[in-house]
Amino acid sequence: MALVEAKELKKTYLAGDIPVEAIRGVSFSIPPASFVSFIGPSGSGKSTLLNMIGCLDPPTAGVLTVAGQDVSRMNARESAKFRGTHIGFIFQDFNLIPVLTVFENIEYPLLMVQNWPVQERKERVNTLLAAVGMQEQGYKYPHQISGGQKQRVAVARALVTRAELVLADEPTANLDRETALHIITLMKAMRDEFGTTFIFSTHDPKIVRNAETVFTLEDGQLAASKTEGGFHG
Amino acid sequence: MRLSYIVHELQHRSSRTLINILGIAVGIGLFVSINAVATGYQRAASLPFANLGADLIVQQAEKNQQLGQGGLSMRGIKLPFSNQVLSAEQWSTLRTIDGVAATSGALLLWEFLPGGFRTVMGVDLAQPDLGPVRLGQWLSQGHLPAQPGEAVMEKHYAKFRGVRLGDGLEIGGNPFKIVGLLEVREGAQVAAANIYLQLADAQALLGGAPAPLNVAYLRLRDPAEQQRIEQEIVKASPGLSVSSSDTFMELMGGVSMISGQFALVASVVSLLGAILLILKSMAASLVERAPEIGVLKAVGWTRRDIQAQLLGEAMVQCGLGGLLGLGLGYAGAFLVGTLSLSIATPWALNPLPAAAKIDELTGQVIQLPIRFSWELLTISLGIVATTGGIAALAMGRAAAKMRPADIFRKL
Repeated sequence: MALVEAKELKKTYLAGDIPVEAIRGVSFSIPPASFVSFIGPSGSGKSTLLNMIGCLDPPTAGVLTVAGQDVSRMNARESAKFRGTHIGFIFQDFNLIPVLTVFENIEYPLLMVQNWPVQERKERVNTLLAAVGMQEQGYKYPHQISGGQKQRVAVARALVTRAELVLADEPTANLDRETALHIITLMKAMRDEFGTTFIFSTHDPKIVRNAETVFTLEDGQLAASKTEGGFHG
Repeated sequence: MRLSYIVHELQHRSSRTLINILGIAVGIGLFVSINAVATGYQRAASLPFANLGADLIVQQAEKNQQLGQGGLSMRGIKLPFSNQVLSAEQWSTLRTIDGVAATSGALLLWEFLPGGFRTVMGVDLAQPDLGPVRLGQWLSQGHLPAQPGEAVMEKHYAKFRGVRLGDGLEIGGNPFKIVGLLEVREGAQVAAANIYLQLADAQALLGGAPAPLNVAYLRLRDPAEQQRIEQEIVKASPGLSVSSSDTFMELMGGVSMISGQFALVASVVSLLGAILLILKSMAASLVERAPEIGVLKAVGWTRRDIQAQLLGEAMVQCGLGGLLGLGLGYAGAFLVGTLSLSIATPWALNPLPAAAKIDELTGQVIQLPIRFSWELLTISLGIVATTGGIAALAMGRAAAKMRPADIFRKL
């Protein structure tokens, strides 16, 4: 059974009074524990598609199923609850909360969204800190760590709720080559360890090379898809 | 961790938080101090009446007839010019006006002696909770006159005259014995006299009309009806003059007169200022924190969670600002309260002849009576909660409209 399944997905924005079709009837299927990348030029609809999969933006038409639930008709409250339990996010700008420590940045989805008991919470955060190699940095604040370390924390935050799906929008765009490679390796290791599906929108060839499935978007439509077996136009 | 997150947020933006807290503190401080001082003025103005248990004092000024005074000689017992004898009809009017709960009478006399003068007041002992009889609470020695021929002397006058408890003296040629000494305090000088006698003794000294009285003390069922009753008295008996705490307020000057309105205006300005300050500050903070709000929403925070967070932040700032403001406000008010306030006596209520320039008896210096008020505290906390609530509601609505997808698109 697919973890993410889209059928004839469409998204139209209003730019002033002019409707802009950002996604034009896209269909695809992503199985669990995948490492998937959406690529394409700027404005091709990558981020829009990720926002829809992440229940941050509802589709205008079509059906979108994530973790067995039709998310295309959810209201804001249902979407928030669904995101809190099923989906993790990694952002290009890391988006850590500056006033919380590294430990607290990873912990808050468990406390403020899922309300885990203290002991379980600590164990879970420490496990993730160790998994991303940040166990010695838990007490630090975001401004006290490097960009690569921030992205490691973001990965840990995305995984802490045992999310089945992590969406990463240009996660290596603000990192140097070596750090970016480490982050990709880390995410793949996390996929292997926790069985989490990672979906990226990216321009980064390093991610593209590591992805098991690559969807190419052009003008809001799927132009091609490639699995490790080869491209399908 | 919600509280911890709130505290972290406020600490992280310490300058802004401090400005908010100080802004609210100044607003609340002004509100508290202005209201406390205004209330103090009103209380000071009402002291002369409160100490007598009366809401109104009614008298009749001279109309070229001086009952029992035997011509214009300035010797012996006289009626004060502002306190002519009230007629039986006038008494009847005062007692029957709707809203008057109790009445009590007194007879104030001047005695002119070869070496000076003194004031003598006949007190109605049958009404222990209304009128000059209440000055008995400040007896420093002895007791109120219990029998004919007994008198109580004002302490300072007794000291000046070298009179002691148990001494005898003559008033209007009649012998009296001093059975008590008292000190007139707290603005009760409208009932101040050098000597207090039983009412019948004073009436006998004046002679003439049967049982004359020249001061009426009225307690009202509802003090809010004071103005209406004053008007009815003057309408029913045009020669009467009616005094109330308002009469003192007029004499106490502009600040006391406008203090009520000023307090209201200043309070509204303070409240609006505090609300605007925190709204502006939180709005700026919201713009800065857009990515943070986007992430919080992305990980599952609902609109209610965001509103709760903003409400918490606003309430902590308002709470701290409010407490600081209360402290500052009361400190300021008590500081003003240490200043002396002179309560002058209106001419009509002055017990002394106009020629007498004895300030200690015609006016009284008191400290502004500032009191801690639970009512003011409650209102202040209400303002604080309203300020925080309005700010959080406005910002919560703005934050709720922020869609994570839009936020991330703009980053």
